[in-house]
Amino acid sequence: MAKVVIIGAGFAGHTVALYLGSQLGRKHEITVISNRDVFSYLPSWVWVGVGHMQPEKTVFKLKPVYDRKNVKFVHAAVKEIHPDAGDQYLLGDEVGSGKEARLDYDYLVIAPGPLLNFAGTPGLGPEGGFTNSICSLPHTVKTRDAYLALCERMKKGEKVKIVIGTGHPGATCQGAAFEYIINVHKDLEKKGLRDKADILWLSNEPVMGDLGVNGIQIKRNGHMLRSEEFIKSVFNDHGIRYQIQTGVTKVEEGKIHWQNYEGEEGATEFDFAMLIPQFKGQPFKFIGKDGSDVASKVVNPMGFVLVDGKYGLPYPELSQTPEAWPAKYQNPNYANIFAAGIAFAPPGPISKPFTNKNNLAIVPAPPRTGMISGAIGRVVAMNLIDLIEKGKMTHSERMTEMVAACVASMGDSLWDGSAVTLLMYPVVPDRKKYDNEYGRDLFTSHLEMGLGGAWTKYMLHHAFMWKFKAKPGWTLIPE
Amino acid sequence: MQQEFSKAEKFWMNFKLYQLWRFIVLNFRIYMVAIQSKRK
Repeated sequence: MAKVVIIGAGFAGHTVALYLGSQLGRKHEITVISNRDVFSYLPSWVWVGVGHMQPEKTVFKLKPVYDRKNVKFVHAAVKEIHPDAGDQYLLGDEVGSGKEARLDYDYLVIAPGPLLNFAGTPGLGPEGGFTNSICSLPHTVKTRDAYLALCERMKKGEKVKIVIGTGHPGATCQGAAFEYIINVHKDLEKKGLRDKADILWLSNEPVMGDLGVNGIQIKRNGHMLRSEEFIKSVFNDHGIRYQIQTGVTKVEEGKIHWQNYEGEEGATEFDFAMLIPQFKGQPFKFIGKDGSDVASKVVNPMGFVLVDGKYGLPYPELSQTPEAWPAKYQNPNYANIFAAGIAFAPPGPISKPFTNKNNLAIVPAPPRTGMISGAIGRVVAMNLIDLIEKGKMTHSERMTEMVAACVASMGDSLWDGSAVTLLMYPVVPDRKKYDNEYGRDLFTSHLEMGLGGAWTKYMLHHAFMWKFKAKPGWTLIPE
Repeated sequence: MQQEFSKAEKFWMNFKLYQLWRFIVLNFRIYMVAIQSKRK
């Protein structure tokens, strides 16, 4: 009997758990360990953040699902991993009791989601800082309360400054921030308060609409359409000002300090700000048999798990080397350790990096959205099933081969809402396979805005809650 | 370079019958590419 332990129960970890539980759960021991006992459907938090959706509609308890799927669940925060052969186990502290939990494993999947590195930008974040975040549910609820309090001030006639975007020169998840800024705009419009707010998009993107993936380019009616013009049109249409190529370096009460590509330093005042922090890997300790620190064999300095990618290539070479992106998400030093979702170390950025004259690197990190995390989770799960049953892995999918669909909400109303539907293929450009400067399939890639997108976003919420609850037919809904 | 949506584009973005058609087409398209990915 094989013992598989999965750290984390987000899009990636939960996907691995459902596949393994369904196919191996009766014969083998599948365990999920997570410091949260609920699954969270993150894409709908943009609606929670403006008070349009109750937070509890985006979560459900994991244990009843795992009980049905023959998966054990341990509600604990992992602190140590002992990966050396012979005695492989991890230690965690049980949430509530604080009791130490030990889990032995034959295979380990690391998928705990990101560490929100608010400390990377002094003054950033809702805990001890001055900005808001929609990166965790408690943060989103706090953001909603701050936003609604701001609306009350506006109702009294006060004019306010709202800043939304990225809070670190190396932050990712521009898409979530984009959704939030548009939902704020739409909500203020509906409340009749839009004229009371000056809204600014502040981001580390090299060009507008880059979204951390080097933008999206499609061919429509024989013409090229790029996300750069598209997003600019959206902002111009909505009266949203924008400032890109900017890395936030510090936040004080009511003031965001930044540097731009030219090396200029400046400050932007705000009454309400939602800025995405830098993401890092979770700070687990990796301890060898002799008690030594073996972290460098498992994770990079940022805490992301090293897998089967080619690391260290300079950007010009990396952008021409699709095979540098990992295919199986397996650690090269410990073959029984896999990483899925945001936890794996990408070989480099997808967007073009830039370092200004003050030596500040301003470059979006590669995003790993729910669809990408789910697809990686599926690849890892299928390979584990292969390994356990046949002794050989047969599945692989690089981000240079992966398709990603993203539906960015621009108002949740099913009558007059809207959303941008983005389809990217592949997520990471493959300039060897696609003979164009963008490295993408310009026919499959798609970019479209309209009310139908709002219906799709609503439908996806319900479809994925159904899927992740492992209700009948869940496997028919692709990740 | 386009910097604002035209009146015609805005009309089609909100025209419900056309959006129903786009909803069906786009979801079918997303489903097909996602299924292809799953088969790998």
